[in-house]
Amino acid sequence: MNGGKPVTVRKAKIRRDLRRPRLFFFLGLTAVLLLATIFADKLAPYDPYLQNYEISFQPPSAEHLMGTDRYGRDLFSRVLVGAQTSIFSTLALVGIISVFGTVVGVSCGYFGGRLDSIAMRVSDVCLAFPGLVFALAVAALLNGGIVNAVIALAVISWPKYARVARSQTLAQKDSPYIQAALLAGGTPAQVIVRHILPNILGPVLVTAMLDIGTMMMELAGLSFLNLGAQAPTAEWGNMMSAGRSMLQIYPWVVLSPGLAIFITVAVFNLLGDTVRDYIDPKNSRVK
Amino acid sequence: MKKRLLWIWILSLVFCLLPGCGSGPDQNRQDDGGQDGGKKSFVFGDTSFNAENEEPNVNPHHAYAGWACIRYGVGETLFKINDSLELEPWLAASHELVDDLTWKITLKDGVRFSNGKPCDAAAVMACLDHLVEVHDRARGDLMIASMEADGLTLTIKTSAPAPSLLNYLSEPYGCIIDMDAGITEEGIVVGTGPYVPVELQTDSYLKLVKNTNYWDGAVNIDEITVRTISDGDTLALALQSGEIDAAYGMAYGSYPIFENDGYTFSGTQTSRSFYCQMNFTSPIMQDAAVRKAVAMGIDKEGFVNTLLNGYGYVATGAFPDTTSFGGSTLTTETYDPEGAKAVLEAAGWVDADGDGIREKDGRKLTVRWLSYPSRQELPLLAESAQATLQDIGVQLELNVTADHNAIAKDQSAWDIYAGANVNSGLGDPTNFFSTHCLDASTKNRGGYHSGRLEELAVQLNATFDRAERDRIAIEMQQILLDDNAFVFCAFLRMSMISRAGVTGLTAHPCDFYELTASLDVN
Repeated sequence: MNGGKPVTVRKAKIRRDLRRPRLFFFLGLTAVLLLATIFADKLAPYDPYLQNYEISFQPPSAEHLMGTDRYGRDLFSRVLVGAQTSIFSTLALVGIISVFGTVVGVSCGYFGGRLDSIAMRVSDVCLAFPGLVFALAVAALLNGGIVNAVIALAVISWPKYARVARSQTLAQKDSPYIQAALLAGGTPAQVIVRHILPNILGPVLVTAMLDIGTMMMELAGLSFLNLGAQAPTAEWGNMMSAGRSMLQIYPWVVLSPGLAIFITVAVFNLLGDTVRDYIDPKNSRVK
Repeated sequence: MKKRLLWIWILSLVFCLLPGCGSGPDQNRQDDGGQDGGKKSFVFGDTSFNAENEEPNVNPHHAYAGWACIRYGVGETLFKINDSLELEPWLAASHELVDDLTWKITLKDGVRFSNGKPCDAAAVMACLDHLVEVHDRARGDLMIASMEADGLTLTIKTSAPAPSLLNYLSEPYGCIIDMDAGITEEGIVVGTGPYVPVELQTDSYLKLVKNTNYWDGAVNIDEITVRTISDGDTLALALQSGEIDAAYGMAYGSYPIFENDGYTFSGTQTSRSFYCQMNFTSPIMQDAAVRKAVAMGIDKEGFVNTLLNGYGYVATGAFPDTTSFGGSTLTTETYDPEGAKAVLEAAGWVDADGDGIREKDGRKLTVRWLSYPSRQELPLLAESAQATLQDIGVQLELNVTADHNAIAKDQSAWDIYAGANVNSGLGDPTNFFSTHCLDASTKNRGGYHSGRLEELAVQLNATFDRAERDRIAIEMQQILLDDNAFVFCAFLRMSMISRAGVTGLTAHPCDFYELTASLDVN
């Protein structure tokens, strides 16, 4: 149908050509972000916890790139060091829920039976509540702290992975190659590890990549509500919370961590999108 | 075509959103001077009127709800504290000390409850009878043995000499309410004040109307809504948008927004003190060197001048210097990080492993700090102390939680309790010692004991001479300071911010006289 429109063909060609460089570009950005986070202590120009009332509420300047807060602490240093708490907690959270959810999902999909019924009903319960509200309740029960916030979000977020992994496993389970593997004497564990997991990893990975941004926002949200990282820990969510009364007068106190969240979430989301485009089987024709 | 549709879509979105930038219907209310159909209305936003502060309603016989009762002009007490923190009659006309145990109080003629019933000695007696029956703190303070009512004369006999009786009768729990009208389930009462509560929802709002039977002059405002807005930022936005006419408890960070002609500040020094109370049952705080180092490691000046934007006063003792029993002659530790380090070194607390935290006998110098967020100054104090104490090698673990009352009861769960209290709101020093420092005190959370302090408390309770009472109170404070049982950090400069046009809303040193008959909106 499109054969008579050479423009469409050209567009498809351009898109195909850009996919791989885009992936590398966003991987590069992510690497920069992660390196800056790992070496934040070395890169921070000041001690992020050092209070100096004489320079409180300094606007951004060459000396203090993002200004200073109420306690005279350098905001650029706090944002840098805060990345360690914010990004590493998010990665840990996504790691935990994707591994746990996948294990549960694959087990349910492969073995079925009572295990499947029970695990899926539990996941139904978790999915029935609005995510953040449920996380708030769990975090409030566990009291504050970034570890408890990660646990709270993990408790409500694993079912998504379990669902994806289960449906993918069900689709693979009756495939001829799985039957062949079983006939060849493979144990269920071997079949799952060697054959099923490699074939379902793509969708799980894409889900995890796209989840990083969301989880970072939710973790920052809990900290903003004082249910995550506690003062004076440099963490983007609680830095925004501490500065919110000053938004109109000293906007940099809120905007600096806000900008950090915006950039990081945008980079991880764009990376997730690119990875999805790259490995999506629907696009394999043009690949 | 697609572009045109996009533009239409964007323009309609802008037109839909633009009205949201206005101030809504409240702006109109503001512009007509709070007058709605000839009625004057006033909306007051308050961060402290909530169940967490033990003020769930306006029933003065319940916990600290008397504060709400007196603040919002529902109830009045027999005596009141004036701007100089001295007693003056309010519902009472005069008093006479017949002997050490007997007080004769004559009531003003013509005072009526808001339901029209006369407020005579029998009504006052019924109210006080119920108060001491249900309110533990009042029972302990007032020490009423018996009462007699005769027309407008009430005779009170106490079980022991009670030189502070009249001051205690000025405590908000002493608001006189009509017991025949009773107390509703919601905690609504009938008082003698200029405003009558008609609707109440705890932690949300209180609606008041003008008391048409008010005994002390005309009331200007027809309807008042007190809104509980626990979040300081929401309070600031509400005042900016015109949703409320005045605010109490504004976040310090928001003050500069209102420092212009559109708003009026009313502020005064109060005896509300931000203090640290040491836990003497905690092994680490039993070490006098640790207590002294903590006292030397808190930067009171920085806290007041920077974190409170100067809206406070550095404290020495339990009471402001402006009172005759205040802190001008007291001595205590001042902020001295180097001195604090030396004190800890001498006591054997050294940082052997180089992690910045001192140790002794294999134990790290970690101190658990318990406080609460509903007083916005306390989280600031906690974070400031954490940084300054870290500097001297003391690690502070913060627990700033609304659940502080329950945690404080478990003495194994904390080392320092940081709180806020109006120490001499009654113009008398007795209350602070009896509630916070003695063996029998309900708020002696850390189990502090001093034999000499107990002796002086007995003396104070039996002394009627004002100068002698002041001397005893000063000696008692010095004992607390020498033991570093308390660190008094600052006194609050209470501020209420109202939009221009609101008159008669004046901050009072007692922190509990707010809405009066002279309040008006123009």
